[in-house]
Amino acid sequence: MRRILIIDDEEDIREVAALSLETTAGWEILTADSGMEGIRVAAESSPVPDAILLDVMMPEMDGPTTFQRMQENAALASIPVLLLTAKVQGVDQRRFAGMGFAGVLFKPFDPLTLAAQIAEKLGWVTG
Amino acid sequence: MRSEAEFDEQSESMLAAIWQRHRPVVIERISLLDRAAAAAMEGALNVEMREEAAGAAHKLAGSLGMYGYNEGTRLAQEIEVMLLEDSVAEPMRLWELAVELRRAVFPVM
Repeated sequence: MRRILIIDDEEDIREVAALSLETTAGWEILTADSGMEGIRVAAESSPVPDAILLDVMMPEMDGPTTFQRMQENAALASIPVLLLTAKVQGVDQRRFAGMGFAGVLFKPFDPLTLAAQIAEKLGWVTG
Repeated sequence: MRSEAEFDEQSESMLAAIWQRHRPVVIERISLLDRAAAAAMEGALNVEMREEAAGAAHKLAGSLGMYGYNEGTRLAQEIEVMLLEDSVAEPMRLWELAVELRRAVFPVM
Protein backbone atom coordinates (compact mmCIF):
# COMPACT_ATOMS: atom_id res chain seq x y z
CA MET A 1 0.00 0.00 0.00
CA ARG A 2 1.28 3.44 -0.91
CA ARG A 3 1.70 6.00 1.84
CA ILE A 4 1.09 9.61 0.86
CA LEU A 5 1.71 12.75 2.91
CA ILE A 6 -0.49 15.75 2.12
CA ILE A 7 0.87 19.11 3.29
CA ASP A 8 -1.63 21.93 2.90
CA ASP A 9 -2.78 24.69 5.23
CA GLU A 10 -6.35 24.38 3.96
CA GLU A 11 -8.24 21.83 6.02
CA ASP A 12 -10.81 21.01 3.36
CA ILE A 13 -8.13 20.42 0.72
CA ARG A 14 -6.47 17.92 3.05
CA GLU A 15 -9.77 16.26 3.85
CA VAL A 16 -10.96 15.95 0.25
CA ALA A 17 -7.57 14.76 -1.00
CA ALA A 18 -7.40 12.17 1.77
CA LEU A 19 -10.92 10.97 1.07
CA SER A 20 -10.15 10.79 -2.62
CA LEU A 21 -6.90 8.86 -2.32
CA GLU A 22 -8.17 6.48 0.33
CA THR A 23 -11.37 5.77 -1.59
CA THR A 24 -10.16 5.53 -5.16
CA ALA A 25 -6.70 4.07 -4.59
CA GLY A 26 -6.74 2.57 -1.13
CA TRP A 27 -3.62 4.49 -0.20
CA GLU A 28 -2.66 5.34 3.37
CA ILE A 29 -2.79 9.06 3.99
CA LEU A 30 -0.84 11.26 6.39
CA THR A 31 -1.59 14.96 6.64
CA ALA A 32 0.08 18.11 7.91
CA ASP A 33 -1.16 21.70 7.99
CA SER A 34 2.19 23.45 7.59
CA GLY A 35 5.62 22.96 6.09
CA MET A 36 7.25 22.50 9.48
CA GLU A 37 4.63 19.99 10.56
CA GLY A 38 4.98 18.20 7.23
CA ILE A 39 8.72 17.78 7.70
CA ARG A 40 8.13 16.42 11.19
CA VAL A 41 5.44 13.98 10.05
CA ALA A 42 7.56 12.78 7.14
CA ALA A 43 10.61 12.30 9.36
CA GLU A 44 8.66 10.39 11.99
CA SER A 45 6.85 8.19 9.48
CA SER A 46 8.14 4.65 9.26
CA PRO A 47 8.52 3.86 6.49
CA VAL A 48 8.78 7.34 5.04
CA PRO A 49 5.98 8.36 2.67
CA ASP A 50 6.12 7.09 -0.91
CA ALA A 51 5.22 10.58 -2.10
CA ILE A 52 4.34 14.02 -0.79
CA LEU A 53 1.69 16.42 -2.07
CA LEU A 54 2.91 19.88 -1.13
CA ASP A 55 0.90 23.07 -1.29
CA VAL A 56 2.79 26.04 -2.70
CA MET A 57 1.25 28.96 -0.82
CA MET A 58 1.32 28.44 2.92
CA PRO A 59 1.95 30.93 5.73
CA GLU A 60 5.33 30.92 7.49
CA MET A 61 7.00 28.35 5.25
CA ASP A 62 5.86 28.01 1.65
CA GLY A 63 6.02 24.84 -0.42
CA PRO A 64 9.32 25.47 -2.21
CA THR A 65 11.03 26.36 1.09
CA THR A 66 9.60 23.25 2.73
CA PHE A 67 10.93 21.21 -0.17
CA GLN A 68 14.39 22.72 0.18
CA ARG A 69 14.42 21.85 3.90
CA MET A 70 13.48 18.29 3.03
CA GLN A 71 16.33 18.09 0.56
CA GLU A 72 18.70 18.88 3.43
CA ASN A 73 17.45 15.81 5.32
CA ALA A 74 19.01 12.63 3.91
CA ALA A 75 16.06 10.52 5.04
CA LEU A 76 13.57 12.68 3.16
CA ALA A 77 15.53 13.90 0.16
CA SER A 78 14.60 11.00 -2.08
CA ILE A 79 10.84 11.19 -1.52
CA PRO A 80 9.13 12.39 -4.70
CA VAL A 81 7.30 15.66 -4.10
CA LEU A 82 4.40 16.86 -6.19
CA LEU A 83 3.49 20.52 -5.86
CA LEU A 84 -0.17 21.43 -5.43
CA THR A 85 -0.92 24.88 -6.73
CA ALA A 86 -3.93 26.96 -7.62
CA LYS A 87 -1.78 29.52 -9.33
CA VAL A 88 -3.37 31.03 -12.37
CA GLN A 89 -0.21 32.44 -13.82
CA GLY A 90 2.33 30.56 -15.94
CA VAL A 91 5.17 32.30 -14.13
CA ASP A 92 5.04 29.79 -11.30
CA GLN A 93 5.57 26.83 -13.56
CA ARG A 94 8.77 28.47 -14.81
CA ARG A 95 9.78 29.22 -11.22
CA PHE A 96 9.36 25.57 -10.22
CA ALA A 97 11.14 24.11 -13.22
CA GLY A 98 14.53 22.75 -12.31
CA MET A 99 13.91 22.77 -8.56
CA GLY A 100 13.66 18.99 -8.41
CA PHE A 101 9.96 18.48 -7.95
CA ALA A 102 8.46 15.30 -9.34
CA GLY A 103 5.68 17.32 -10.90
CA VAL A 104 2.98 19.90 -10.44
CA LEU A 105 -0.71 19.22 -9.82
CA PHE A 106 -3.29 21.94 -10.12
CA LYS A 107 -6.01 22.85 -7.69
CA PRO A 108 -8.87 22.40 -7.82
CA PHE A 109 -8.28 18.72 -8.43
CA ASP A 110 -10.97 16.25 -9.35
CA PRO A 111 -11.39 13.90 -6.38
CA LEU A 112 -12.23 11.09 -8.77
CA THR A 113 -8.99 11.33 -10.73
CA LEU A 114 -6.44 12.68 -8.25
CA ALA A 115 -4.91 9.27 -7.54
CA ALA A 116 -4.59 8.53 -11.23
CA GLN A 117 -2.92 11.90 -11.80
CA ILE A 118 -0.42 11.20 -9.03
CA ALA A 119 0.30 7.71 -10.31
CA GLU A 120 0.83 9.04 -13.81
CA LYS A 121 3.20 11.80 -12.66
CA LEU A 122 5.23 9.33 -10.61
CA GLY A 123 5.17 6.52 -13.13
CA TRP A 124 3.42 4.21 -10.75
CA VAL A 125 1.81 1.18 -12.33
CA THR A 126 -1.80 0.93 -11.28
CA GLY A 127 -4.27 -1.82 -11.72
CA MET B 1 -7.20 1.62 -8.33
CA ARG B 2 -10.96 1.99 -8.67
CA SER B 3 -12.64 3.45 -11.69
CA GLU B 4 -14.26 6.88 -11.60
CA ALA B 5 -17.69 5.28 -11.48
CA GLU B 6 -16.81 3.69 -8.17
CA PHE B 7 -16.60 6.88 -6.10
CA ASP B 8 -19.47 5.42 -4.14
CA GLU B 9 -22.44 6.85 -2.38
CA GLN B 10 -20.67 6.85 0.97
CA SER B 11 -17.75 8.82 -0.44
CA GLU B 12 -20.12 11.26 -2.12
CA SER B 13 -21.82 11.69 1.22
CA MET B 14 -18.48 12.29 2.95
CA LEU B 15 -17.53 14.87 0.31
CA ALA B 16 -20.86 16.62 0.86
CA ALA B 17 -20.20 16.61 4.60
CA ILE B 18 -16.79 18.24 4.10
CA TRP B 19 -18.44 20.90 1.94
CA GLN B 20 -21.07 21.60 4.56
CA ARG B 21 -18.45 21.88 7.27
CA HIS B 22 -16.36 24.36 5.28
CA ARG B 23 -19.28 26.32 3.83
CA PRO B 24 -18.97 29.13 6.43
CA VAL B 25 -15.36 29.70 5.39
CA VAL B 26 -16.42 29.93 1.75
CA ILE B 27 -19.19 32.37 2.64
CA GLU B 28 -16.76 34.54 4.58
CA ARG B 29 -14.28 34.56 1.70
CA ILE B 30 -16.95 35.56 -0.80
CA SER B 31 -18.10 38.28 1.59
CA LEU B 32 -14.54 39.56 1.73
CA LEU B 33 -14.52 39.78 -2.07
CA ASP B 34 -17.81 41.71 -1.90
CA ARG B 35 -16.28 44.16 0.54
CA ALA B 36 -13.15 44.54 -1.56
CA ALA B 37 -15.21 45.17 -4.69
CA ALA B 38 -17.33 47.74 -2.88
CA ALA B 39 -14.20 49.46 -1.60
CA ALA B 40 -12.69 49.45 -5.10
CA MET B 41 -15.82 51.11 -6.48
CA GLU B 42 -15.45 53.83 -3.86
CA GLY B 43 -11.76 54.21 -4.62
CA ALA B 44 -10.98 53.03 -1.11
CA LEU B 45 -9.39 49.63 -1.67
CA ASN B 46 -6.09 49.74 0.19
CA VAL B 47 -3.16 47.39 -0.40
CA GLU B 48 -3.82 45.33 2.70
CA MET B 49 -7.44 44.64 1.79
CA ARG B 50 -6.58 44.01 -1.85
CA GLU B 51 -3.95 41.44 -0.90
CA GLU B 52 -6.24 39.81 1.63
CA ALA B 53 -8.99 39.60 -0.97
CA ALA B 54 -6.56 38.20 -3.56
CA GLY B 55 -5.64 35.50 -1.07
CA ALA B 56 -9.31 34.69 -0.51
CA ALA B 57 -9.91 34.51 -4.26
CA HIS B 58 -6.89 32.26 -4.62
CA LYS B 59 -8.19 29.85 -2.00
CA LEU B 60 -11.66 29.84 -3.51
CA ALA B 61 -10.22 29.19 -6.95
CA GLY B 62 -8.30 26.25 -5.57
CA SER B 63 -11.16 24.61 -3.77
CA LEU B 64 -14.56 25.28 -5.34
CA GLY B 65 -14.01 23.04 -8.35
CA MET B 66 -13.23 20.18 -6.02
CA TYR B 67 -16.87 20.23 -4.98
CA GLY B 68 -18.11 20.56 -8.54
CA TYR B 69 -18.37 24.35 -8.60
CA ASN B 70 -16.22 24.76 -11.68
CA GLU B 71 -17.77 28.08 -12.63
CA GLY B 72 -16.99 29.30 -9.14
CA THR B 73 -13.35 28.40 -9.62
CA ARG B 74 -13.26 30.18 -12.98
CA LEU B 75 -14.77 33.35 -11.54
CA ALA B 76 -12.49 33.28 -8.50
CA GLN B 77 -9.48 32.94 -10.79
CA GLU B 78 -10.62 35.96 -12.78
CA ILE B 79 -11.09 37.93 -9.58
CA GLU B 80 -7.66 36.90 -8.30
CA VAL B 81 -6.00 38.11 -11.49
CA MET B 82 -7.70 41.50 -11.11
CA LEU B 83 -6.68 41.79 -7.46
CA LEU B 84 -3.07 40.88 -8.11
CA GLU B 85 -2.65 44.10 -10.07
CA ASP B 86 -1.40 47.13 -8.15
CA SER B 87 -4.76 48.76 -8.64
CA VAL B 88 -8.12 47.49 -9.82
CA ALA B 89 -8.59 48.90 -13.30
CA GLU B 90 -12.26 47.95 -13.58
CA PRO B 91 -13.96 48.15 -10.17
CA MET B 92 -17.41 47.61 -11.66
CA ARG B 93 -16.24 44.43 -13.35
CA LEU B 94 -14.78 43.25 -10.06
CA TRP B 95 -18.14 43.87 -8.40
CA GLU B 96 -19.98 41.98 -11.15
CA LEU B 97 -17.62 39.03 -10.82
CA ALA B 98 -18.09 38.92 -7.06
CA VAL B 99 -21.87 38.88 -7.54
CA GLU B 100 -21.58 36.16 -10.19
CA LEU B 101 -19.34 34.13 -7.92
CA ARG B 102 -21.81 34.27 -5.05
CA ARG B 103 -24.65 33.23 -7.37
CA ALA B 104 -22.59 30.41 -8.87
CA VAL B 105 -21.90 28.88 -5.48
CA PHE B 106 -25.01 29.87 -3.53
CA PRO B 107 -27.81 30.38 -6.07
CA VAL B 108 -30.50 31.07 -3.49
CA MET B 109 -28.59 33.43 -1.20
